[in-house]
Amino acid sequence: MSAGAIIMAAQIYTLIGAGVAALFLTIGMDRIDEDARGAYAFRPLLIPAVLLIWPLVIWRWLREETGTARWQARHSPPRAAHGVAAVLMALVVIVTLATALTIRQTWPADIAPVQLTAPEPAQ
Amino acid sequence: MSVKYTPVQWNPSKYWYDAVMLVGIVGFLWVFIYAAPGALNHEFPINAPIRNARAFGACAFVMLTVILCIGPLARLDRRFLPLLYNRRHFGVMTAAVALSHAYFVLGWYFSFRQGTTQWEAVLSSNTSYGQVLGFPFEALGIFALICLLLLAVTSHDFWLKFLTPPVWKALHFLIYPAYAAVVGHVALGAFQSRGNDTLAVIFTAGALLVAALHVLAALRERHAAPATTAAAWVEVGPAADIGEGRAKIAILPGGDRVAVFRHEGMLSAISNACAHQNGPLGEGRILDCLVTCPWHGFQYDVRTGRSPAPFTETVPTYRVKLDGGTVFVDPTPNAPGTPVDPLPAPNPEVLP
Repeated sequence: MSAGAIIMAAQIYTLIGAGVAALFLTIGMDRIDEDARGAYAFRPLLIPAVLLIWPLVIWRWLREETGTARWQARHSPPRAAHGVAAVLMALVVIVTLATALTIRQTWPADIAPVQLTAPEPAQ
Repeated sequence: MSVKYTPVQWNPSKYWYDAVMLVGIVGFLWVFIYAAPGALNHEFPINAPIRNARAFGACAFVMLTVILCIGPLARLDRRFLPLLYNRRHFGVMTAAVALSHAYFVLGWYFSFRQGTTQWEAVLSSNTSYGQVLGFPFEALGIFALICLLLLAVTSHDFWLKFLTPPVWKALHFLIYPAYAAVVGHVALGAFQSRGNDTLAVIFTAGALLVAALHVLAALRERHAAPATTAAAWVEVGPAADIGEGRAKIAILPGGDRVAVFRHEGMLSAISNACAHQNGPLGEGRILDCLVTCPWHGFQYDVRTGRSPAPFTETVPTYRVKLDGGTVFVDPTPNAPGTPVDPLPAPNPEVLP
């Protein structure tokens, strides 16, 4: 995939996100969250997030509208996975540092630089 | 009724936290750019965009390193908890500093290729993904920047409630691959330059510190986790260890946490996760029959898991039992707001 295609895909994704943001921030959130009713100053702060995670917004919006959200989920942060993620990160960091040290270039830094001269042009 | 959303929930401690953070950022950039050019290999003339890109990049790495240290430090030593409570603003500022770094890099290194935009240039100038030496480290930086921006833009209270804690926390686990990518970005990029050993030492020490603290904290939590099955009652500890108006926090099979409180000589258990932002209720204390969340002051009656009227927040409650002075909790939660009769607790003074 070319760089141009990636950027084009990102632009289209963001454009759809703008449409979702317009609908969700003006109509959707009032229907599903009583704390948002009558509160408008904070809504512009949410626009960048909707642009980036609009598929997630649509999914959660549908869950709330259809009443299929689980109450238990609101009280159970996934702490058990926390340790695994952190230790995996630590391992990747250590391997990355070791690799970077291995490939790091060395050269005799105390040798004075020599200006090269261009070769004589061929006769 | 509940609390209406506001753009930012300020309080005096957050003002101080942010002020100290801003002074730190400005101080770091000033030292990097003006006060220590020799130590940072600026004795060779470089232009302003390169200097700024280096300064903001180094600042973002240091900020991210500090953020990643706060979590495990708070788990290893409770005195670091105040840093944890206000960490969200720190993360947003880090994303802003990282974005500034990207702005200066794009504006200098990728601005002069004819016929392409800056982003096209950064994505196509090096595509040697199959090799380690010469790997396009810019891609790792872009990935990390996207992660940091995702975390920053979803940091408002609304997103935690709307996405629900499992989804929100899973999204915010991106901080770990983001930091690993930042380490790769620096290690395969600026670190490969032998002209700047001061930064290389700071970078290596910072990354190793983060790795070591996370491994230490994970090991400690592993020892603290219960060895029981999901169906068995979970041992919390001696009732005498729970002070009046205070709680003891127990980890349930699966990782959830329950806070067992002593109030007027009676034991009650509720979820340790506040309904607002999953703040640690067990670290709050009971005032006027209500436990107050240390993060944002939300209150709950520990006997019912309900906020006082007219507020409507609720948290799950748990059943507790005593066996020879030791407290046990049923790991199956009751629906949020379910009243549970408090259990008379032995007087702590008469227990050994």
